[in-house]
Amino acid sequence: MSLRSTALRFGIVAKTFHWVMAVLFVSVLAVGWYMDWLPLGLEKLQWMSRHKSIGITILFLAVLRLIWRAGEATPDAISNRAWEKRAAKIAHIVLYAVMLAMPMTGWLMSSAANFSVSVFGLFTLPDLVAPDKDLFAALSYTHWLLSWGIVALVGLHVAAALKHHFIDRDSTLRRMLPGFSDR
Amino acid sequence: MTQKISGFFASMTMVALLTGGSASALAADNWSVAAGDSAVTFTGTQLGASFDGAFETFDANIVFAPDDLAGSKVSVLIDIASVNTENADRDGQIASADWFDVAQWPMAKFETKEFREISPGMYEAIADLTIRDVTQEVQLPFSLTIDGNGAKASGEVTIQRTAFGVGQGQWSDTAQVGDDVTIKIDITATR
Repeated sequence: MSLRSTALRFGIVAKTFHWVMAVLFVSVLAVGWYMDWLPLGLEKLQWMSRHKSIGITILFLAVLRLIWRAGEATPDAISNRAWEKRAAKIAHIVLYAVMLAMPMTGWLMSSAANFSVSVFGLFTLPDLVAPDKDLFAALSYTHWLLSWGIVALVGLHVAAALKHHFIDRDSTLRRMLPGFSDR
Repeated sequence: MTQKISGFFASMTMVALLTGGSASALAADNWSVAAGDSAVTFTGTQLGASFDGAFETFDANIVFAPDDLAGSKVSVLIDIASVNTENADRDGQIASADWFDVAQWPMAKFETKEFREISPGMYEAIADLTIRDVTQEVQLPFSLTIDGNGAKASGEVTIQRTAFGVGQGQWSDTAQVGDDVTIKIDITATR
């Protein structure tokens, strides 16, 4: 297995990005909903802090991932249907977009709420905007909408992978798994 | 009536001047604070990140003269409910029972006991700071420039919030909400 992807298979780096970020996506969404449900208190703030830290980690990884991706080949979608390939392409672009947009709206929200982002207590991010209640409300709504957008998008992504695996019986899902080698 | 009273004070002042001698002639000036150009702000830390805020309403009585530090006195009453950290949740928390408990102790008080000159234009106030029901002595170094009848003073002091009981119960965990809070004053006043 090589580090880099080829036109047919994913490299170790791309797979690692994919699965690490998949785990982080689920974690950050779970923490986000859990903290929203908690009453105002120390516990809520702690979970909020974890949520922000994971979110910024996703942002950081997303940037690295895009840079890495730009420097290697991307395996072609496996399908005979042009519309399916096109839909996959669009869905992947939107997934990359939300990987950036979701943490960015969160970071902006924190700035607008005068509650700077500390990443795992290691360092604090600069505020992007001045404190602003109305802006915060708008960002908060956007962040919430995006969270459900991501649920729909990831749901589609997973459903498509399963459809390829069980219905089309192709290697779309398997080739993203660790250890898969192209025969 | 007003005239009678001021007349009364005038004669008392005369008595004081006559009996007190030269010390009274150096009496420190009364200063009134220009609210719009003055601020009491602070910086705290929360979950690893610092944040700042202001107490927007405060009332200061300032009697001060560089050449009469012994006769100088400053007392400031700070309206805790006027806190503004640009975050409604946090402001609500600050006023709540676990923090400043505004319902019981709506005001914080800063009252000087002594002034020292550190260097020209730099002074230090030794003062009692009362927050909730706790009074602690604090030392506030500040710079002062007097230009004609106007003056500007600014200084900062770092206190430990838990020493005043600010942050009860779960909030006494200083790993989550930092113990150190830096209070900064910027006062513009005229005499």
